[in-house]
Amino acid sequence: MQVRQPTNKGARRSAREYVVCRQEDLPPGRMVIAPVGKFGVGVYNVHGILYAINNYCPHMGGPLCSGNVYGTNLWDDVRGRAEHVLDGRIARCPWHAWEIDVATGVSVADARKRTRTYDVRVENGEVVLTR
Amino acid sequence: MSGLLIDAAVQPFCRDGREIYDYMDEVNRDRGFPDVESQWYQAPGGDYDESLYGKGYPGSDPEIASRHLFEDDGVDVAILNPRTRGNLPDFQLNTAVCSASNRWLAHRWLDEGNPHGRFRGTIRVNPEDVPGSVAEIERWGDHPLMVQVGVPLQSRDLYGRPRFYPIWAAAAEAGLPICISTNGGAGLEYPPTPTGHARTYSQYIAFMAYNYVYHLLNILTEPLFKEVPGAVFVFSDGGAEQLTPFIWKLDTLWLGVRDQTPWVDRPPSEYLKDHVRLGFSRLDKPPGDSVPIVDWLAQTGKEDVVMYASNYPFWWRNHPDDLYEGTTKEQTEKVRWRNAGEVYRGVTAEAA
Repeated sequence: MQVRQPTNKGARRSAREYVVCRQEDLPPGRMVIAPVGKFGVGVYNVHGILYAINNYCPHMGGPLCSGNVYGTNLWDDVRGRAEHVLDGRIARCPWHAWEIDVATGVSVADARKRTRTYDVRVENGEVVLTR
Repeated sequence: MSGLLIDAAVQPFCRDGREIYDYMDEVNRDRGFPDVESQWYQAPGGDYDESLYGKGYPGSDPEIASRHLFEDDGVDVAILNPRTRGNLPDFQLNTAVCSASNRWLAHRWLDEGNPHGRFRGTIRVNPEDVPGSVAEIERWGDHPLMVQVGVPLQSRDLYGRPRFYPIWAAAAEAGLPICISTNGGAGLEYPPTPTGHARTYSQYIAFMAYNYVYHLLNILTEPLFKEVPGAVFVFSDGGAEQLTPFIWKLDTLWLGVRDQTPWVDRPPSEYLKDHVRLGFSRLDKPPGDSVPIVDWLAQTGKEDVVMYASNYPFWWRNHPDDLYEGTTKEQTEKVRWRNAGEVYRGVTAEAA
């Protein structure tokens, strides 16, 4: 996944809503960091579905969204083997490699650790983030 | 005092170097193999407690051992784990020595030497011979007084590796934990430290038990508990104080590299209570009152995995009172019998 820095197309729309970019600027497999909140918010297009998480790792506050995006490996008890799953949905913090599911904000290793998620939608061809 | 006392590590010996040959199968009876007293590192005055030498080797007379353990030390049940000379270069001979050890133990110690019924035994197997080990566990697994399977700490590979799983599965199937303990000095083995051989007895003894850490880190990282969910490992030589720093590191690193070992689906420390036990001796305890013992035992759940282990008849053996000063009543009970009772079948009910 390629990382884009805050785009100059973004704009505050209201006290609660922020226009991140145009829809065509966030194709599947891309991420944009919107300058929202203290640390910024990563807005992801994962296979056509948009997700947004705080750019703040629940471990030690690292810039979570500036790391690469992967899938992860989980044990499948039925098949009795490891499976590669959630491809394109796992943000890895560049500091200590913690895995965070961008759809839920939850750490894969420890479900008690999570970062904040935001609502994000497409409206009139624009990606709109709700704070 | 605080209920039962189970001694998780007693080493019974043959009366002399010849006795074990009476129990060897005919094919191997004429083979020679090393005697037990061939350690490189000798304690002052010999490897065994000086007061214990009688007519035979220390720890070789069930009646004398019974007096020392059950009368003098107040032990209720003693788990006997004989030594089998380490990994002999001829692995089939090694399996034959293990078989002889099991026949000898069942006859001399669990039958004729056991009028009080307080001795329990260890099925010795040779991990270099996987089918032979499985057969030996199947042969002895339903003996009511055999309560664990024993393998040498000095192995030629880490015990979490899949090639050993058939042995661990046979043990789990029989409801037996697997005891990994120092058992060498005569066979093929790596040096006792990663940088070679220690010079003196104290250097050797101070480090040797820590070799369990390599096995433990491997066991907690391989898919062992997915393949053999019932496996339980006992490191009877102790070294519990090293558990804390290593499990801290393993838990911390796991958070970042969990995807490399997806079969480890909870923090490694959470496997300890269900799958691991350690012998607990005075060498494991902080000296004097240098550290508050209550907190020390509670750190990383040590109090849930340590079991009293006298290591009779060795020079550095323990007496039960060496261990409890300053512990809570609950901790004392865990060390004396509760933690052992969770992994050894029948030891708490029959001792009561």
